[in-house]
Amino acid sequence: MMASGDSRREPRQKHNGLHWLGLAARGLKRDLRAADVRALFVALALAVAASTMIGFFLDRLERGLTRQAGQMLGGDLVLEQGEPFSNELKQTLREAGMTLSDQVDLVSMISRGERFQPASLKVVDSAYPLYGASQVDVGSGVEALSRGPAPGEAWVDPRLESLIELELGDEVQVGRATLTVSGIIEREADQSGGFSSFNPRLMMHVDDLPATGLVQPGSRVEYEILAAGPPEAVSSLDALLESLEREGVEVRDVRVDRPGLGSALERAEKYLALAGLAAVLLAGVAVAMATRRYVDRHLDTAALLRCFGASQRQLTQLFALQLGWLALAASVCGALLGLAGQAGLLALLTAFLPLELPPPGPLPLALGVLTALAVLVGFAGPTLLRLKRVSALKVLRRELDPLPASAWLVVAMASLVFGGLMWLYSGDLGLSAALLGGGLVMLVILGGVGSVMLSAVLRLAALLPQGSHSASPTRALRLGARQLGRRRQASLGQLLAFSITFAAMAMIALVRGDLLTAWQDQLPEDTPNYFAINIQPQERDAFVETLAGAVDERTSLYPMVRGRITALNGQPPQEAVPESGRGDNALRRELNLTWRDSLPEGNRLVAGEWFEQGAGGSSAEPSVSKSASASDTVPISLEDELAGRLGLSLGDTMRFTIGAASVTGRITSLRDLDWDSFRPNFYVIFPPGVLERFGHTYITAFHLGDDQSPLPGQIVENFPAVSLLNVEAILGQVRDLLTQVTRSVELVLGFVLLAGISVLYAALIASRPLRAHESGLLRVFGAGDRLISRVQGAEFAILGLASGLMGALLAELAAAGIYAGWLDLAPRLHPWLWLGLPLGGALLVGLIGHGLSRDLRRQTPMASLGLLGEA
Amino acid sequence: MAILGESGAGKSTLLGLLAGLDAPSSGELNLFGESLAALDEDGRAQLRSGRVGFVFQNFQLLPTLTALENVLLPLELAPAADNDARARDWLSRVGLGERLDHLPKQLSGGEQQRVALARAFVTGAELVFADEPTGNLDPATGERIIDRLFALNREAGTTLMLVTHDHAVARRCDRCLRLTDGQLVDMAHEEVSA
Repeated sequence: MMASGDSRREPRQKHNGLHWLGLAARGLKRDLRAADVRALFVALALAVAASTMIGFFLDRLERGLTRQAGQMLGGDLVLEQGEPFSNELKQTLREAGMTLSDQVDLVSMISRGERFQPASLKVVDSAYPLYGASQVDVGSGVEALSRGPAPGEAWVDPRLESLIELELGDEVQVGRATLTVSGIIEREADQSGGFSSFNPRLMMHVDDLPATGLVQPGSRVEYEILAAGPPEAVSSLDALLESLEREGVEVRDVRVDRPGLGSALERAEKYLALAGLAAVLLAGVAVAMATRRYVDRHLDTAALLRCFGASQRQLTQLFALQLGWLALAASVCGALLGLAGQAGLLALLTAFLPLELPPPGPLPLALGVLTALAVLVGFAGPTLLRLKRVSALKVLRRELDPLPASAWLVVAMASLVFGGLMWLYSGDLGLSAALLGGGLVMLVILGGVGSVMLSAVLRLAALLPQGSHSASPTRALRLGARQLGRRRQASLGQLLAFSITFAAMAMIALVRGDLLTAWQDQLPEDTPNYFAINIQPQERDAFVETLAGAVDERTSLYPMVRGRITALNGQPPQEAVPESGRGDNALRRELNLTWRDSLPEGNRLVAGEWFEQGAGGSSAEPSVSKSASASDTVPISLEDELAGRLGLSLGDTMRFTIGAASVTGRITSLRDLDWDSFRPNFYVIFPPGVLERFGHTYITAFHLGDDQSPLPGQIVENFPAVSLLNVEAILGQVRDLLTQVTRSVELVLGFVLLAGISVLYAALIASRPLRAHESGLLRVFGAGDRLISRVQGAEFAILGLASGLMGALLAELAAAGIYAGWLDLAPRLHPWLWLGLPLGGALLVGLIGHGLSRDLRRQTPMASLGLLGEA
Repeated sequence: MAILGESGAGKSTLLGLLAGLDAPSSGELNLFGESLAALDEDGRAQLRSGRVGFVFQNFQLLPTLTALENVLLPLELAPAADNDARARDWLSRVGLGERLDHLPKQLSGGEQQRVALARAFVTGAELVFADEPTGNLDPATGERIIDRLFALNREAGTTLMLVTHDHAVARRCDRCLRLTDGQLVDMAHEEVSA
């Protein structure tokens, strides 16, 4: 069968890669008219946007929040000791990349004329403050100043105005030096200084310190180095810090101190990572659904190309390249969107983030592009391979479609890739594997539940009355349900996709709500804003009387005795504890011990029993001795986490040395407590009747809602030895921080919702031709506009309702797992979810589906029936 | 050459086999001197590449591609600078030079089949298979399409293998075979017209 002719072209064999790149790009350009390609584009762009935005944001947020915490602390690292620090140490810190500021704290009498007042002096150098700015009234109103007072000047607490009538411009005597008051402090840049700051503050320059003559051998002076630097620099100092701590230097580290900030921040970060993954998963589901339609639509193209001589490899190459271009374009758009999103987040957080944030790095961008490609390969790959299996014979016999990719293969591939992404984002292989495993088990269960639910819907629909007229709602419901039942596999697929979507959206919303509640619970309106310490036993009753009526009834005074752990189970602590616990602060410092007959508010027993009445005995004699023996122990209650760190459990004994005596306690209960609560918290609690004999003072924390209350003044006046600390400013900073984090969490939630809607869109696009065919058939058989519209509406609504129910189930289970295992929140049921999600689902799917099918209903039956298999 | 046969006689199956779109389960089949039985599907595709053109009963135009893009499709499997000009030229030859950017749904059935004709000849194919090319058209349009198909065939010096049940169309071919009960019988023109 040879042919002859003249205008023959040479047979074409080898083609270069560039040609295929161009061909794929041209093909994609033509394809942009198709809804599925647009759905793919949107889904991929959303995945990239979510991952880059969260990547950028987390990166910056982490740095910002750490710096914020650093601001409260005065630096990323604060070292404190009773003698000046060596220049050698300072040099080492500088070499590690830290910026330093020296500070000296001491309490001294200051005077103006004949009036004297003890004040807490904060002596700062020219580098102060390392972070933030102080709010200071310098005569022309309150200004934000990122410096301290100049030499020769002093800034003072407004309280000194009333106490010794000190005003701007006045001279104040500090030791032997005379300083001019040049500022009234509204808020200090840092809240460091600890308990020495109960007295009114006076801030001065370090150059003036020698002239005061206040620093003499034996005087109580605390020297501090405040150090600021990048996290890597702080981390590089870990070994040095440990050795300094062993030498008795107090080290405050922004990474460990301030647990109130720490846990909120940690949860926020986990939430964002979770939301990012949810957005990527949803985008993946959308990609999977849109790819099915893409492949269906390209079967004819593939068959024709096979007919024209394309090999399987060329087909694979062509379509893979086409989607590769799509992924690239989507990555660029997504990355821009992600950049804009993080800029938006930044704008939301301007008030709170330090201004000089490093610019966005390339890593989140690379991660975004990688995410797009991974989502494409994982969620579209197996389905796409169907195109290469198309037979050329399909051009003659339309029904010759290659078998769809096995659902198991699609799920396995997607799981593998998603698991990898989870690992990449979380850095936790165990967690990723557990989540993935749990997810797959859930998928199987959901498949079963969905199948049962579809059958139930069909049965229920059959029970509905026929309806009096042709377009009656019940008839539409019956027909809609039957349509769903007729294409059972496709319906089940949509049901699963929508359930996962609703579950992910609901879960992210649930977790957000519960996080916010947890944060609000953590710092409720009546969170104590005053601490009073050093209340002497003889002042106790009078103090309680002063507080009575002005503060919450639940306010209690805690006795406080300082003691050091000297033995655990009869052994020296360093030998008794596991290696990881040897550096624990609790072993290096004196602990504050207290006694109580009832469990303090905010504490929860996790093991053992609380003390029985009279557990400590009416007299402390038997349990207190100069040299304790194991036999005369008293029951004690220990904080659960410390017990874990020191390897202690119920029944173990701890010996405390208090002054010259010792007390041995046997652990009879373990408590969980909330360190973020702004209440006095104790590691060790004794029963009454043991510690009373030792020197002790009382501590309390209370909330004062009224700024004008005379109470603080009364306390200062009537109890001169009591130190009163107002923590309202710190509380305010923590609240600001939580508000900001909340806003950012909401923005990220918005992305997850968008990704969810992209799934709905992709799924509905994918099922359009089938629906067009069905409505065409209905019309041929005489159905009117109204009936078709109602049948479609009913079908979508039933699908949405069933998906909502399954989504609620899935969201509750997933949220419970995440709370317990990851976010450290108590799991709870959300009854409204079971109502809201099915109804919301019915409404959402009903509206979107009905809207997207509007043009199908306008088509003539000829067009509808011809549409099957085409765009 | 025409292959005549009743509906269901297996004409399209035969055409699929001849073009190497399907593999015979038994027997020997040669295309361009190569045994199709010895080639796998990719091998057969490569053999067809640029040498075989197709015209289908249902046109087989891709609905999302314009007329020009549909004609470019077989050319795009191989890089060539003049692909675009070539496709435009062939569309002008079938009288659609002014409708290059129309989508199939904006063209009439006859116009769609003309796009398909341009696509079949644009690669400079040595052999064109036509499967009931007038099956979806009214008689008058069908006749014009056949006229154009034969004219293009002469112009390009191509071998045309036409599958049809229309005796009038078959009559215009040099040679005519009838497919009955799985047997191919050579027919004289008198027989065809009878």
